[in-house]
Amino acid sequence: MKDNKVLFVIPTHNEEKNIKNVIRNIKKSVSYADIVVINDWSTDKTKDIVEKEDVVLLNLPFNVGYASAVQTGIKYAYEKDYDYVIQFDGDGQHIASEAEKLLNECMKSKSNIAIGSRFLVPTDYHHTFFRKVGTKLFSILIKIFCKEKITDPTSGFQCLDKNVIKKYSRMQGYPEFPDANLIIEMLLSGYKIIEVPVIMKESNTGVSMHGGIYKPFKYMVKMLYTITFILFKHSFSKKGDK
Amino acid sequence: MKNIYFVIVIVLLITYISRNVIKSRVSVKESFFWIVGSFVALILAIFPKSMDSIAGFLGIAYAPTLFLLICVLFLLFMAFRDSKRIAEQNEKIVELGQQVAYLKNEVKKWKK
Repeated sequence: MKDNKVLFVIPTHNEEKNIKNVIRNIKKSVSYADIVVINDWSTDKTKDIVEKEDVVLLNLPFNVGYASAVQTGIKYAYEKDYDYVIQFDGDGQHIASEAEKLLNECMKSKSNIAIGSRFLVPTDYHHTFFRKVGTKLFSILIKIFCKEKITDPTSGFQCLDKNVIKKYSRMQGYPEFPDANLIIEMLLSGYKIIEVPVIMKESNTGVSMHGGIYKPFKYMVKMLYTITFILFKHSFSKKGDK
Repeated sequence: MKNIYFVIVIVLLITYISRNVIKSRVSVKESFFWIVGSFVALILAIFPKSMDSIAGFLGIAYAPTLFLLICVLFLLFMAFRDSKRIAEQNEKIVELGQQVAYLKNEVKKWKK
């Protein structure tokens, strides 16, 4: 495992309260891995805090959003020839010791993507009502169109292998919300995706991307619209066309 | 069916937009309002009497005027949205240019 080059990709936006602990926990739990922090134009002290740590810091010149910040990290991994990328949130929601589990399972099963699932086994994690409905709906859609059981399609805690690093880093129009749409796209393209049960903490700082009523509704509409196009696109191309 | 011509034109338009999205010439996100607008036009073309009812409800005597009004408002919305995007992108281009200039200077220093 330690023969492989592993990179943690941490997108951050105003995470001055959490980022230091997030970095230190990773270093403690997965000491052989490298870390890249993508500072998505934070207006607080995130940049100053990260600069003091022994990690790579990429400062974006303006706010590009979560997905583009993640893709920036993946592009870095591709350029530096990493074998595995672990997408890890900077808000303290993901637990560093769980990342190793994700990585092990990804390697052992020779999967292209391992998703850390909060719902594969019962945990204390609580979703809002709208997120629960969305998660269930997208799980059903994945089951119908890809014949795969994915219980947590909105999980950003993922381990990606070299093939996926290459694919994502070159992907034009990397989606604004890389969730169920990207899972469907990857499954229909013949990539192997597994889920690994993980424990996650509730995010207690920062602003949720899917809070309130309007945002989850907008998210659902956008997601369904994007999925429609992906299905449309794949109905014209051969399965396994990586 | 008198409106078959309009239905064909709108279906062709939807096909054209979809093809561009599939070929990644337009992003899925950017195509959203065009597709929604096209489907609204398609529904109105298939059920022209609905236009009369809506026009009557809004107190518009001549129904085709309502269609033109909807089209003008939709295009104004899209034009304003594009203006907003252009302004935002101009800001970002300036910011990138400034950062490139700064980084070039840093690289020069390192070479020395």
